[in-house]
Amino acid sequence: MAATLTANAPARPRKLLASRRTRVGILYALPVVVYLLVLFVYPILSTLFLSLKNTDGSLTLHWYVDALTGINLSVLLTTVRISAETALFSLVFGFVLANAISRLKPLWAGVAMLIVVVPHFISALVRTYGWIILLGDKGLVNDTLAKLWVPGAPFQLLYNEIGVVIGTTSVMLPYTVLLLYSVMRGVDRRLLAAAASMGAGRVTIFRRVYLPLVAPGLASAGLLSFILSLGYYITPALMGGPDQTMIASLINQQVMKQNQWNGAAAEGVVLLLLTFAGLLLVKVVTSFGASRKKRSAS
Amino acid sequence: MAEFGVVTPSVKVAGGKLPTATGKPLSVVALRKTYGDVVAVDEASMEIAAGEFVTFLGASGSGKTTTLMMIAGFCEPDSGTITVGDRDVTRLAPQKRGLGFVFQQYLLFPHMTVSENVAFPLTLRGVPKDEIRRRVGETLEIAGLSGFGGRKPRELSGGQQQRVALCRALVYRPPVILMDEPLGALDKKLRDQLQIEIKAIQQELGLTVVYVTHDQEEALVLSDRIAVMRNGLIEQFDTPRELFERPRTPFVADFLGAANFLPGRVLQNTDEHTVVRLDQSGGLLTARRHELASGTSVKVAVQPGRLRACAPDDGFCTGTVETATYVGTLVRAGVRIDGGDAPLLRLEVPAGRGPVTGERVGVTVDPEDVNLFPVEQGG
Repeated sequence: MAATLTANAPARPRKLLASRRTRVGILYALPVVVYLLVLFVYPILSTLFLSLKNTDGSLTLHWYVDALTGINLSVLLTTVRISAETALFSLVFGFVLANAISRLKPLWAGVAMLIVVVPHFISALVRTYGWIILLGDKGLVNDTLAKLWVPGAPFQLLYNEIGVVIGTTSVMLPYTVLLLYSVMRGVDRRLLAAAASMGAGRVTIFRRVYLPLVAPGLASAGLLSFILSLGYYITPALMGGPDQTMIASLINQQVMKQNQWNGAAAEGVVLLLLTFAGLLLVKVVTSFGASRKKRSAS
Repeated sequence: MAEFGVVTPSVKVAGGKLPTATGKPLSVVALRKTYGDVVAVDEASMEIAAGEFVTFLGASGSGKTTTLMMIAGFCEPDSGTITVGDRDVTRLAPQKRGLGFVFQQYLLFPHMTVSENVAFPLTLRGVPKDEIRRRVGETLEIAGLSGFGGRKPRELSGGQQQRVALCRALVYRPPVILMDEPLGALDKKLRDQLQIEIKAIQQELGLTVVYVTHDQEEALVLSDRIAVMRNGLIEQFDTPRELFERPRTPFVADFLGAANFLPGRVLQNTDEHTVVRLDQSGGLLTARRHELASGTSVKVAVQPGRLRACAPDDGFCTGTVETATYVGTLVRAGVRIDGGDAPLLRLEVPAGRGPVTGERVGVTVDPEDVNLFPVEQGG
């Protein structure tokens, strides 16, 4: 599950079409190919054209210049920052949760996973309003903190970056927990016992055996929550202030309020490129790690 | 990682000689473990000498693995003590015992190369880098794995992986190496080959090994001494020869020698011999002297390989050959003894002059090769 995100396609031998089996295979793949062409490739290409089209129909790059300058650039940077923060926090909490769940007996692990995942079935809108109730000035969180005489309470937990990151992290958490849990389940616990038998203490076992074994899962989980956050709309829009406007909100405004489709298309393409950049980053990091290992081994 | 340096001061000693040659590397006293009402291990005691290869042999559920796990520290005994060298390690965590362990499932670290796997226990002990490199190289060479250092475990065969696991367990010269059915996952041919290799490495380096297996042959090939276990009890702890020739219980005679058992009663004792009248045929069988009173009900145990065919009525019993299977150098024969419905008496005789199906034969045996076990009354 974790590997699929980062796995690269195997190198294809030439003269592929020569084999009869391959031709039959293409026939089977045809429905999927058509589906992807119509519902995926065509919309992306038309968005791309839209983003390059001037009002008089000629080709232009000025929508991109718009998208990457001034207020739009700061929205873009905010989006990346909030997404990175969300990825970090959902990784940390996801790791702790998944690690705890993976140590439970199968029955209890199932129950715990249900508790983690079920909120995801509830509409994001409902959950976001739930957070707004909890995090408000007179909400449960601030109320409790105030009763405990925590200095500074009530805190401003809404309509700022804290609120947005709390909201998006709670949305992303099920994904990271699911991904990390499946990777952690796949780790042979007896390997840890083997390390202990050779004299490794708990910290060493964690650092040198457990962590490297779950690292691919961490990379894909972090990437997934980062990418999902990039284009996330409801929670930042409802729980953030003006300074937390994210790119999805910007696109929404351009289309709904300004009827500015070309600019929105350019923003959309930028978002897509950001996603690719994220994928590339993880790929570079993992292959760098692999090559470093190889060098140290030789 | 200073704590490990204290635990195993031996690791800093270069060279192949075992530093704990004085004193017993491992002793176990009255070890007991229960799971609910089930006694997994009952009062297991033994002392293991330096350089000795000891095997716990038994069927599954006999307590052999539990005993090993308690020595390793993966399972805590209810009572009893485990001493490694001069240290009482009974309640210590596995990582503080300084022992080596080879698992049946190899359990190599998949994210590390072969060299890194073998180097792992050394890095924990703060051994300098160039010494790690040297010792890893030496150890891999001993196991015939030179040139495999850069590979990942998944690129190796099962036999090679287990060799790496062995290297990883012995590279830091633990005073005792524990092995839990290390060859259990391999096919027969590879198992035979690795048995010889393990034995050779053990003898060359003077390793002290505690080994667990359910395979009698494996135990006999490898071990200096074997602890035969059943139902949590050590039935007998002895050299293979003693276990074979002088089993102390019918179980040991059966488990190791696959002995024939014949019911009988002690007729008389002479200075050197004990004569038994067999219940079925009424024939007289002479055994070496046992301290058993006349009239005692006994089980006579004789291994198939020690029985010989002779002319009818010349031996302690006579019967008809019912089966005769040629198995290369041997013929395995089953003889139906006259005057009873006992199981077939199993013989293993050299091929060539072996009996033929339907032939009338007598069966004889050297008194030295007969073991008598008194039958408890009512039992």
